[in-house]
Amino acid sequence: MTRPALGRLAPLLFCLLLPVAATATDYRVLQDQSTLAFTATFQGAPFQGNFAQWQAAIRFDPAHLAGSRFDVTVDTTSASTGDTDRDGALPGADFFNATRYPEAHYVATEFVRAGAQVIAHGQLTLRGVAHPLDLTVTFARQPGGTALMDVTGTLKRLDYGVGGGEYADTSVIGNAVTVNAHLALAPK
Amino acid sequence: MLRNDPWRWGAVAKFFHWTIALLILGNGVFGLLMDLARTPMQKVDWMALHKSIGLTVLALLVLRLLWRAFNRPPHELPAPPWQLWAARVVHVVLYLLVAALPLSGWWFNSVRGYPLQFFKLFNLPAIAAKNPDLRHLSHHVHEYLFWILLLVLAAHVGAALKHHVFDDDDVLRRMWPFARLRHGPKGESA
Repeated sequence: MTRPALGRLAPLLFCLLLPVAATATDYRVLQDQSTLAFTATFQGAPFQGNFAQWQAAIRFDPAHLAGSRFDVTVDTTSASTGDTDRDGALPGADFFNATRYPEAHYVATEFVRAGAQVIAHGQLTLRGVAHPLDLTVTFARQPGGTALMDVTGTLKRLDYGVGGGEYADTSVIGNAVTVNAHLALAPK
Repeated sequence: MLRNDPWRWGAVAKFFHWTIALLILGNGVFGLLMDLARTPMQKVDWMALHKSIGLTVLALLVLRLLWRAFNRPPHELPAPPWQLWAARVVHVVLYLLVAALPLSGWWFNSVRGYPLQFFKLFNLPAIAAKNPDLRHLSHHVHEYLFWILLLVLAAHVGAALKHHVFDDDDVLRRMWPFARLRHGPKGESA
């Protein structure tokens, strides 16, 4: 290999090594300080819900987005919204169909800076349907290597067939559902 | 004639009387039949309609009372004093029940924590805090008020029919849409 050829290849080699050299931090989620919640609307009024059971593998560094990754698994039987009728209906076949699809899964590997925040371009698999979902990430390092992360995004429930059939009437149950997660993170 | 005169109720008062009567009776029967809904979503839709009709009754009652405040009712027709007083009491109680039925439904809806939407147009606030301990009580109050309304209504309708059939006076005719008076001044119907 001649020197000029190596000189031309050097930037390429550098780019290939970059993700390895600058790896984002792997975090574990402090579950007792973290929440995974959502806001939907029923008859024109918003209501809040949250999931009690979920796990998230978070690798993130706003300075090294190329190596960042979210991998979140949510137990679809664990939703509660403060109303017994609604909570009874949510795991049912018309909504999450939790017997057949006990887990929802979100994976993001592509991150783009947007001002002080970062947009995660990921994919949510819910009720067996995979659909792109963008989440806005606000990340704040805390003293001692821990970090706080707030994530929000809006999905359309009918993209995933949640509340189909007679429940598809969006004048009663709104199509837009906002997801909000607050994560307390500690480095692994 | 839109306004009342000394002998008969005007068209506006008749409109309020009969519209509220039909809406509150229909909505009461509708409310009692809610459990016939075949699916949970049908019940949700029926409930939403029931609540919207109830709010309509409440709004009409407010307008009716305003109209009445600025529009003197016709003279009372001759009757024994106890009957005049009974009629006045029944009328006041009916007004109170027409207010109490939608308000108790609103209370029931509030303690249950349900949204309140008027014909999918806009939402109204809760009038009480969510309280699961009160859901059965408020439901019973709302339902029993309707049975009480039917009892008082039986007295109201019975008295009107008694005047019409046995006394052959104008008590019913002067509230009946488009009816002509038999004993009062002749003239146009209202």
